Amino acid sequence: MDFESIPWLLILPIIIIQLILIVVAIIDLIRVRSTNGPKWLWAVIIILGNMIGPIIYFIVGRRNE
Amino acid sequence: MSNFSFLFQKEWRENVRNFKILWIPLVFLLFGISEPLTNYYLPQILASVGNMPEGTVFQFPELSPEQILMSTISQYQLIGMLVVTLGFAGIIARERKSGTATLLYVRPISYFSYVNSKLLVMITIVIGGVIVGILASLYYTNILFGAVDIGAFFGFLGTYIAWLLFVISIVLFSSAAFTTGIASTVSVVFVLFAQIIDALLGTYWTISPWKLPMYAGQILNGNFDMTPFVWSIMITLIASIVLIAGAGYFAKRNVSKAKI
Repeated sequence: MDFESIPWLLILPIIIIQLILIVVAIIDLIRVRSTNGPKWLWAVIIILGNMIGPIIYFIVGRRNE
Repeated sequence: MSNFSFLFQKEWRENVRNFKILWIPLVFLLFGISEPLTNYYLPQILASVGNMPEGTVFQFPELSPEQILMSTISQYQLIGMLVVTLGFAGIIARERKSGTATLLYVRPISYFSYVNSKLLVMITIVIGGVIVGILASLYYTNILFGAVDIGAFFGFLGTYIAWLLFVISIVLFSSAAFTTGIASTVSVVFVLFAQIIDALLGTYWTISPWKLPMYAGQILNGNFDMTPFVWSIMITLIASIVLIAGAGYFAKRNVSKAKI
């Protein structure tokens, strides 16, 4: 499939939502005092784990206290 | 009533600060959009990344718009419900552990409005998020697959909201009654595992709250039995009210367990 034939207008919302999720997760990671496990590891998971990464961070990584 | 609005504001501020107000609706929105898209472009995706031998021919079944909406719901039933149960398991239990509860419990608050403030915040986030997600899914389905009967769609959405109310009350109740860890286990068992059990053994009965998502799909397709559906809805709503009242009772009884 070549570059032009990809329906960017349809896919764009997904990309934007993913970016928002990643940015929010990173902001949260910077603000919280401590996480379950090392912080740098969570940064890697959030950035590289595209769709699931931020979700896993919010559920598991965040220490809700 | 002023009591309630004060508690609600506190709850709202907390959920804004931990970003739940933002990321939970976004997760539902993300799955609502990606489900119709991946289903529509599956042949192209497989052709470009599937590493198929030359000349492989796939017979893809024609998917109806109703089936796409149902597959969105089945995503919500797994990942969405995990997010809701694990994300909110600490909503009451956490306050007891962290000591926030002692700040609240010394005031003459009614436990009814305490639980209701949490209920209202959860309803806003979870049900609001799911509605946004399903509407986005409907929009994409409309573009890619075709129109859905709008009356049937609203019946489907209403039924699914009743199910979400049941899930929320289970989470609220277990969070009031147990500690965070036990509460998340209990709510996952009663939301996710109970569905599997109901699907395996459920041919013997037709009235159960865990059958509501299935009934929602039947309404969307336009063929469903009225009697078991009405009874299931009634039982679900009654069970939700009982669970919420129980949450108020346990929130009051567990005051002594709060860490000072």
